[in-house]
Amino acid sequence: MAILVNLDVMMAKRKISAGELSEKIGITPANLSILKNNKAKAIRFSTLEEICRVLDCQPGDILEYKKD
Amino acid sequence: MWNPGKSVTTSSVCTKIVILLVIGSAFAAPYLVKSYVSFAAKNPEIIGPLLATFYACSVPGLVALFCLDRLLANIKKKDVFIEKNVKYLRVISWCSFAVSAILFLSGFYYLLFLLIAVAAAFFGLILRVVKNVIEQAVAIKNDNDLTI
Repeated sequence: MAILVNLDVMMAKRKISAGELSEKIGITPANLSILKNNKAKAIRFSTLEEICRVLDCQPGDILEYKKD
Repeated sequence: MWNPGKSVTTSSVCTKIVILLVIGSAFAAPYLVKSYVSFAAKNPEIIGPLLATFYACSVPGLVALFCLDRLLANIKKKDVFIEKNVKYLRVISWCSFAVSAILFLSGFYYLLFLLIAVAAAFFGLILRVVKNVIEQAVAIKNDNDLTI
């Protein structure tokens, strides 16, 4: 996959658990797991906005483009 | 009060009744065909071919009915846009084409079968298009499910 989600890196930096994050951004733990494990096919701007707000970061801190 | 759940149950019950009717008529076929030939004053020589056509069509017919039953069971479980349903629709469509082919060949000794062959082929074609639509819907649903 060309776009990688580095959510766990940011979560570790902010010392926040998956359960807490999912609750704060308003998605299910199952969906957060899909996102964390790079299984997601797309991410809504609203979800990205919430993640950035809760983790106090930029989209570029979470998403990374990697050539195949 | 009438609701979609009851509608699916009605379809499921009807499918099961038709399955039983097809199995029952398979046992009664020799008697039914003989009665039809004597009633319609047809040549008794066509009893054999008529029975052969009936039994040949019963096999894909039963396969299609069993697939329909499974399809309805999935719909009842709210599993509509899944790969299995696409497979069931594909099988039903091919069964219709198989029946159409058998009836087309039977049309050489009994012309009326050609009409039913065209109807079966048309039905198979419609089902194929429905299958294509469901196939696309499954892909869209998968994309949607993986959009967080």
